[in-house]
Amino acid sequence: MNAPLTTGKPLCISGLTKTYETRTGESMEALGPISVDVAAGEFLVVVGPSGCGKSTLLQILAGFLKPTDGTVSVNGEIITGPSIDRSMIFQSYALFPWLSVLDNVRFGLRRKTIPREQQRSIALQYLRLVGLQDFADKNIDELSGGMKQRVAIARAFAVNPSILLMDEPFGALDALTRRFLQRELLRIWQEQQRTVVFITHSVNEAIFLADRILVMSSRPGRIRAEWRLNSPRPRDLNSDQHRRLEAEIFSLLDEEVTKTFSWAT
Amino acid sequence: MNIASAKNSAPGPGRTSHRRWPANAVRALPFCYAAIVIVLVWQIVVDITKPDPSILPPPIDVAWTFGHLAGDGELAVHAGYSVARVITAWLLSGIIAIPLGLLMGSSQHFERIVNPFVELLRPISPLAWIPMAILWFGIGESGKVFVVFIGTFFPILLSTVAGAKGVDPVLLHAGQVFGCTNRLTLFRRVVVPAALPSIVVGLRVAFGTGWAAIIAAELVAAHSGLGYLIANGMDILRADQVLVGMIAIGVLGFLFDTFFRYLQAHYGRTAR
Ligand SMILES: Nc1ncnc2c1ncn2[C@@H]1O[C@H](COP(=O)(O)OP(=O)(O)OP(=O)(O)O)[C@@H](O)[C@H]1O
Ligand SMILES: [Mg+2]
Repeated sequence: MNAPLTTGKPLCISGLTKTYETRTGESMEALGPISVDVAAGEFLVVVGPSGCGKSTLLQILAGFLKPTDGTVSVNGEIITGPSIDRSMIFQSYALFPWLSVLDNVRFGLRRKTIPREQQRSIALQYLRLVGLQDFADKNIDELSGGMKQRVAIARAFAVNPSILLMDEPFGALDALTRRFLQRELLRIWQEQQRTVVFITHSVNEAIFLADRILVMSSRPGRIRAEWRLNSPRPRDLNSDQHRRLEAEIFSLLDEEVTKTFSWAT
Repeated sequence: MNIASAKNSAPGPGRTSHRRWPANAVRALPFCYAAIVIVLVWQIVVDITKPDPSILPPPIDVAWTFGHLAGDGELAVHAGYSVARVITAWLLSGIIAIPLGLLMGSSQHFERIVNPFVELLRPISPLAWIPMAILWFGIGESGKVFVVFIGTFFPILLSTVAGAKGVDPVLLHAGQVFGCTNRLTLFRRVVVPAALPSIVVGLRVAFGTGWAAIIAAELVAAHSGLGYLIANGMDILRADQVLVGMIAIGVLGFLFDTFFRYLQAHYGRTAR
């Protein structure tokens, strides 16, 4: 038990494992054990081969899934379920189609004891942050995919969370929009100073965004390697340093992917 | 919507309804065309076969009877009775079936308890309930409302259940993340609005089945309503009166369905 040591850390994952019960009654180890501490304001990016348990990890951090073993604590308190303090950006946007753009951003503000007028002005402020202030009264289905994800970013930041969780948030977007939103996200993150846990398949994306990159092993996912990046942003992905890093990460991932496939056959 | 925000919207079809008139007129054209063809064919059949007017009167006779029945208000009274019965029963169904369906759709436990009853009762056509309705309620209003209630209840219930069950799980997660920490708030703020398009479809379908059921119920046991009007026409060998009743049934049914389709277009945005 290392619970006392975790006190006060923004995000502390210790000894986390997840075993799924399959329909046939067998158990399937999907994750861990994993232990990570995340510092306040840190941008942590997790990469790993498909099926290694990245989404499982994020679902546990969000509080949707109970871990089989281990704990997650935020600011010293062990989490028991979803909380507005751990806000999330989903790959499929997950905007509420029956609400306007503004009301989507306002959704998370309505539970708190904030006067209506203030909710509105906060929501507008975050829409301005993502450049969509002119679209406040539009319907969700009038927006493009990239615009939807910008609304989702505004919604996630507007609730003033201490941690932001993102599971391949730009995975469904075209390359150009993706590049644009990566820059946008960095700009907003630098402005707001939040702790971020970001999952991606793209090594380039990881290098472009991260303070720290974790590479996971094949299933059951553990932390295989870790890099700290100190180069200033915006980063040039074509610099020698970043190319070398990219090659290193890829060789590790290649190894893990090979394990996945030899394991399966 | 104010002028300032309207000016930078794309020059598509106007948002305000009074601008829509020409578009509506265009949309009505196919129906006018179908009506004209039906009347023409009808006239030709009458010209060729020269049937007894008590079997098939010419369109002009029926138009005349229509004008007569409409003129002295009788048609409106009968139509009013039928519509009032359907609306009463349909509202009653909605009040019961929508909450029940939402509960069934969001609690597996509750669904397991209620569903067997639904599956056993649902195959019994509302028309099969007419004799029991007469035995229990006589030929007063409640018997007919009961029959239409049976006819409208299940369509509303089933599509509400489907709507509540079909809520995208990622929206439920989003709801939980953004402040719906207990099941009731999640239900109110995510499940209900996400199921709404499906509920509107159920209400529309149910109105159609209810409109069919009321005519059947009035054929058997009534002294008023469009069903009674056509049953009475048959008894006194007045095919023109029967046809006037049928036309009224068709036109009203069509108008209600058009109205619901309009509602659906405005409030039934699909959840995704
Ligand atoms: N509900 C579940 N029941 C049983 N097994 C599951 C369940 N969800 C995920 N798994 C399994 O757990 C493993 C990890 O899944 P997870 O979705 O976390 O992977 P991932 O790293 O996010 O993959 P990807 O990169 O493809 O999104 C997979 O092998 C998957 O089959
Ligand atoms: Mg995943």
